[in-house]
Amino acid sequence: MAMTRREAFTNLAKGTLPVLAAGCVSTILPEVAHAEEAPMPKGALGLLYDATKCVGCKSCMVACNQANDLKPDTRTDGLHQAPPALNSFTKNIIKLYRTADGSDHSYFKQQCMHCADPGCMEACMFGGLRKDKETGIVWWQGSMCVGCRYCEIACPFHIPAFTWDGFNPKITKCELCRERLGKGLQPGCTTVCPTNAVIYGRREDLLAEAKRRVAASPGRYFENKVYGESDGGGTQVLYLSRVAFDKLGLPELGEESIPERLKFQHKIYKWLAIPIALYAGMVFFANKNIKEHAHHLVEDQKKTGLRPQL
Amino acid sequence: MTRWERSVPVYGVPVLNRGFWVLLLAVIVGLVLSGFREVLGLGGNISGMSDPYAWGLWKSFNVMVLTGLGSGGFAVGIAAWIFNRERLHQVMRVALLTSFLAYSTGLIMLGIDVGRPWNFYWILCPWKWNLASPLLEVAVCITFYACVPLLLENLPPLFEYFIYEYPKWRGAAESCEKALAKVYPFVIGLAYILPIMHQSSLGALMLLGGDRVNALWQTPFLPLLYVWAAAFLGYNCVVLCLLLSKLAWKRELDIEVLAELNKITCWVIFAWTAFRFLDILIRGKILLALTPSFFSGLFWVETILILGPAFVLYSEKGKNIQTMFLAHFWCALGGMIYRFSPTTLAFRPRNGAYYFPSAIEFLVCIGFIALAVLVYIVAVKKLAILPGTNADWLKMAKYEEQVKPGIQLTGYAPVEH
Repeated sequence: MAMTRREAFTNLAKGTLPVLAAGCVSTILPEVAHAEEAPMPKGALGLLYDATKCVGCKSCMVACNQANDLKPDTRTDGLHQAPPALNSFTKNIIKLYRTADGSDHSYFKQQCMHCADPGCMEACMFGGLRKDKETGIVWWQGSMCVGCRYCEIACPFHIPAFTWDGFNPKITKCELCRERLGKGLQPGCTTVCPTNAVIYGRREDLLAEAKRRVAASPGRYFENKVYGESDGGGTQVLYLSRVAFDKLGLPELGEESIPERLKFQHKIYKWLAIPIALYAGMVFFANKNIKEHAHHLVEDQKKTGLRPQL
Repeated sequence: MTRWERSVPVYGVPVLNRGFWVLLLAVIVGLVLSGFREVLGLGGNISGMSDPYAWGLWKSFNVMVLTGLGSGGFAVGIAAWIFNRERLHQVMRVALLTSFLAYSTGLIMLGIDVGRPWNFYWILCPWKWNLASPLLEVAVCITFYACVPLLLENLPPLFEYFIYEYPKWRGAAESCEKALAKVYPFVIGLAYILPIMHQSSLGALMLLGGDRVNALWQTPFLPLLYVWAAAFLGYNCVVLCLLLSKLAWKRELDIEVLAELNKITCWVIFAWTAFRFLDILIRGKILLALTPSFFSGLFWVETILILGPAFVLYSEKGKNIQTMFLAHFWCALGGMIYRFSPTTLAFRPRNGAYYFPSAIEFLVCIGFIALAVLVYIVAVKKLAILPGTNADWLKMAKYEEQVKPGIQLTGYAPVEH
């Protein structure tokens, strides 16, 4: 069916009005596109864990549970606090890496890395996981969490743990004892370490200390590297180790943060421009074709006497 | 040769037959067990999920796979309304109904799967949305799609039901129908853009998983491949529903329309497979597919199940109804495995972690599939969904007017749309 100029303009107007409306909505909505760069917060707090100093006493695990009012997880043997992995009772764990023939071993500590640009936060639908603007501590806000467990898939370090039992599950993860910090105390795990394998402080200072240790004994540490300085976009918890980091459950991430894996997506959705343009185009063609279709329906009805179906 | 002209209800068949009760039993079992899950949580014996395998059958099958299968509404719709393939309008009602059922049951499953569903109300507060999250995009988009455009698209058969069966409501239903016709272009525009958005975001979900998803599946183009796979799965599902209607209720088939659907399916699959291989080649991962392993086996099972039937459909043999049915069946299976792989089969979160769904997960999953099938079967018997001919309609009218005196199915004054 041919279209007159008038019709074409009307169609165009019909197509563009929702575009304008949606455009206005998208500009007033905050954070339509993800922030391009997430710099380290100024007052970023963190931990420095030196695996070469750790003796594997697990005092920090006990201290963590006490500091966080968590029941010790003795489910493995009914006696010792020896959970196999981080779980809903365990925010901090000491694990042992050992080669098959026992020739080499190292302890390692696992807890939230408090990423500069956390994958869990990117994944979270309503901001159930938040990052403190000042201290950079990543914490869980139960009132905004729907329990979808996407954070568990997005976290490259396997940190968030879900309560699998009961009707009111929670996400359990290290929050750097942020309530204790407010009272002038230190994170639980750092208060009891007999060898000072884990220390607490401002990330800036910790990084300087780590670099000092690397410089003081070159070759002692794996690749003379501080894990977390730039890995995964930088983390507030830093690691030093003699054995390769990936043996200690710290994956090779490169400098790209986890949310950057979605950067292409964010470009497509920026200002919702592409979806809105597509929508306008489709409405335009649908509007044109629907008229033709309606015309056919009316013709059919004249022939058959049956009610047309949309 | 039959030529589909209008949708006609399945008539003269009882609704409450044995199949109905069997399906209802499956639905009740599923509902009761999901009640248990709400009280007892997801762990223990309820599900096989764990912290490394945080997503189980309910999300990765009922949502990821079945909404793909239910993409007929948008995949066939774009061909019919945007590319103006006039004859495909005859199968739109089947496509829309399957889509609506797949999406609505998928949404319910999502609600059962999440641990703190009471916090879902934040979805009503856009200022609380984390717009960077692909899962938010999926949740908002699926909810909106299922509750607004898809629901509106499924209303015309219901309006007609009231027009024919309840003379009292005729006026109201007719004005509703007219109002819907006026806004229809805007509705269907939404009905196509939203699925493109959320079906691709379903793929984007796994981008954050990084190398936990095997490199044969993990690609920056996963979102595109996902929405593309949804397109051919939608066609598979619609054709299978049409062919099954012949088997179940001896409905006549319009070979021309089926051939057109087959042709589109084939080309979508050819292009999809070519793109997938190109992507793997460019990323330099083709050796992974050529070295024997579980993943390369899975990859070739998918490829052969999807591509093989497409070649059969493309050839002369594909015109045979039985061959067509088998081809679409295997192809749908292959596509479903593809959509299932990144979250489950090709997902390796950490050494030693293992996931196999529990009996309860299976039964709830089956329960909600049964719910969709049940509603579908009742709907095609009560409403004009399945395509037929004008002659079928007249036969049906004669039968119905005898059974239910007082209703009028023919002889309506012309309606201006």
